[in-house]
Amino acid sequence: MAKVLMKGCEAIAEAAVRAGCRFFAGYPITPQNEIPEYLSWRLPEVGGVFVQGESEVASVNMVYGAAASGCRAMTSSSGPGISLKAEGISYLAGTGLPAVIVNISRGGPGLGSIQPAQQDYLQATKALGHGGFRAMVFAPSTLQEAVDLTYNAWEYAERDRNPVMILMDGCLGAIMELVEFPEMKEPDRKGTKAWDLNRNEGDTRNARLLTPYFPEAILELKNNSQKKMFERWAQNDVQVEEFMVEDAEYIIVAYGISARVSKEAILRLREEGYKVGMIRPITLYPFPKESFNKLNYDQVKGFIDVELAIPAQMHDDIALEVKDRAPIYEYCRSGGLLFDDDGVYAAVRKILDGGAK
Amino acid sequence: MAEYKRPESLKKTPSGFCPGCMHSLATKLIAEVVGEMGQVENCVHIVPVGCSTLNLAYWQGDVLGAAHGRAPAVATGFKRSNPDRLVFAYQGDGDLAAIGLAEIMGAANRGENFTVIFFNNQTYGMTGGQMAPTTLIGQKTTTTRYGRDPETTGYPMKMCELISTLEAPAFVARYALNTPKGCRDAKKAIRKAFDIQMASKGFSFIELLGNCPTNWGLTPLKTLEYMETNTIPYFVPGVYKDKYKDEVK
Amino acid sequence: MKKSLVISGSGGQGVMSAGIMIARTAVSAGKYATFLPEYGPEQRGGSAKCTVVVNDEEIISPLMAKCDTLITMNEQSFKKFGASLKAGGILIANTSRVLSEITREDITVVRVPADDLAVELGNIKCANIILIGALIGADAGIITEEAMLNSLEAKFASKKQEVLDLNKAALAKGIEYGKNAK
Repeated sequence: MAKVLMKGCEAIAEAAVRAGCRFFAGYPITPQNEIPEYLSWRLPEVGGVFVQGESEVASVNMVYGAAASGCRAMTSSSGPGISLKAEGISYLAGTGLPAVIVNISRGGPGLGSIQPAQQDYLQATKALGHGGFRAMVFAPSTLQEAVDLTYNAWEYAERDRNPVMILMDGCLGAIMELVEFPEMKEPDRKGTKAWDLNRNEGDTRNARLLTPYFPEAILELKNNSQKKMFERWAQNDVQVEEFMVEDAEYIIVAYGISARVSKEAILRLREEGYKVGMIRPITLYPFPKESFNKLNYDQVKGFIDVELAIPAQMHDDIALEVKDRAPIYEYCRSGGLLFDDDGVYAAVRKILDGGAK
Repeated sequence: MAEYKRPESLKKTPSGFCPGCMHSLATKLIAEVVGEMGQVENCVHIVPVGCSTLNLAYWQGDVLGAAHGRAPAVATGFKRSNPDRLVFAYQGDGDLAAIGLAEIMGAANRGENFTVIFFNNQTYGMTGGQMAPTTLIGQKTTTTRYGRDPETTGYPMKMCELISTLEAPAFVARYALNTPKGCRDAKKAIRKAFDIQMASKGFSFIELLGNCPTNWGLTPLKTLEYMETNTIPYFVPGVYKDKYKDEVK
Repeated sequence: MKKSLVISGSGGQGVMSAGIMIARTAVSAGKYATFLPEYGPEQRGGSAKCTVVVNDEEIISPLMAKCDTLITMNEQSFKKFGASLKAGGILIANTSRVLSEITREDITVVRVPADDLAVELGNIKCANIILIGALIGADAGIITEEAMLNSLEAKFASKKQEVLDLNKAALAKGIEYGKNAK
């Protein structure tokens, strides 16, 4: 298929349709409105269902209902709405239902600002809801990557019977760039999925899709199997881009739009002889621990956490792996203020000059 | 003479409800209708949070658990992607009229093609008898020790009346389960609601007035009297909306 | 070569539609392009700004401190973004609304009374097309006249011939101003 110029939110929406998503419920919130707007006409075209929910809470619970029938389902929102969806996301994890949750993130806390930010990292990776579960969190940095990650998101969600989050800043949600879409997957609705309340003829009914709450031993078993699942993710499912790290003395750690601005700065600094590289987590959870642990700490002099979040939210995850073997610096903007190429370049250069001398 | 037996939709396990509680009665009426319609296999019971959750232990058929108050949203998602299944949510008053007010009104207003059965016993049973939105004025609960005071807690919420103001719902009705006639009428209404749904004719809402002997602090027999003198005069039974009066029997 | 363009004005002036049209035109000519809109929270009349980057290869960062070309459609946006134009860059000012004196000497200035010209042509809405014309006439190196004409034809294919003709005339008018400014 030819490449098309498309808006980030719409690219995610179309990728979802092509992944076989046939149910979407959502509630208006900036800067992600183009996702529900697009799906409101696109889903009916392919026999799918779009519902504008009466609230964020209702929307995520509609997705829960649709997912219970083997239907690939999705909801999207931005920070304040994701907080409201926390209940439903926890129930998805508790009941063991696959779904994709998209967060096109903006400034916070509270109402914050409608401008782009990366201030939902901690929420996404540590506590998407009550009860101590995790979800895989994918953070695209180009629209092509957003398309590909969304397209594959249900494979993980269904494999694990767990929600998956796509976390993308509002900048990438609003931007238009070229994308190429993968082919249309036909949704599998033949009742072959273990969590589907629609079984084939002859199968025993009497299915129970519930978040376990008694007896306690069953819940503990579930918690244990989830723990093992999170460990498997760390082993098998990490996605990361390592850019010019082989000889790097300083390593920028950034994801999403921050990584793109940082990459431009790295190329400029390399031209000036600075040995700079970048670790770009694509899965924010599971975090790419190995990328930090395999480094030669005689060579690496420091890390620079570049985020659209103050205070930097990824810092703790980096620190856990670096284990005081090198200092971690920060260059951050937040509240809806963006980086630019000069700003990141100048800030990183200042750290390099200060650190090297 | 008709044979009295356990409905097909109920498992052969004892009910977890308190002795004399009308949840058992309400569940049995629904189960009988589902069985009589030959819908045991096709039925999906959306179980919310509250005493009504106990149903999941002995409901024979598919059960989908919903978060507190969210049953109409979960039912929306499920029914929209599976229009042929018989879907009903069975919700209590705290679940439906307090924390789930947005979800019930949203689903009713969209005219979603499923049925909500609302068990109104004017209290939060499972959590120990706190005030519900439907608690009567002057009624004592664990959070209204001296009786519900409208000055600070407002008035009991009349859900049938509220929902019947909406354009979309097809059938809205209330019955009291404290008399055999009330039970018979309620069962007929449940049948009618399910028939409406299976004919894809839209949203149906059946409110069942029930008791809570444990939290009301009355013997089961006394609750029947209490309902007659207190509950029924305020929550007046009857059909509040019926779009298909003559079409669906 | 990587070229960046900022278009700024107030909501309703066609800032975003001009930006999208330029990005689409560049893409149809085989280039890579990014379009980034920035809105205020208002639905009408707030500030509007977009950044378009065009390149022969994939675009790494779509965010930059300084742009190669700046189109300002009103006074307010000229004051706000005038300094973000690189030295040696091209400023295209809608002088129907940009009233301040333009004092920078390290840039090429294209003065186009786009609103007045658009009204003369018959519709204020084509002011943004006039400014796109100026961009082409001033050789900003972002899109070509031919590619833009193709875009206009595609965009207005379903409209009446007069609409296309009006936009073509607007484009030609802008190109004339762009060329004269060099």
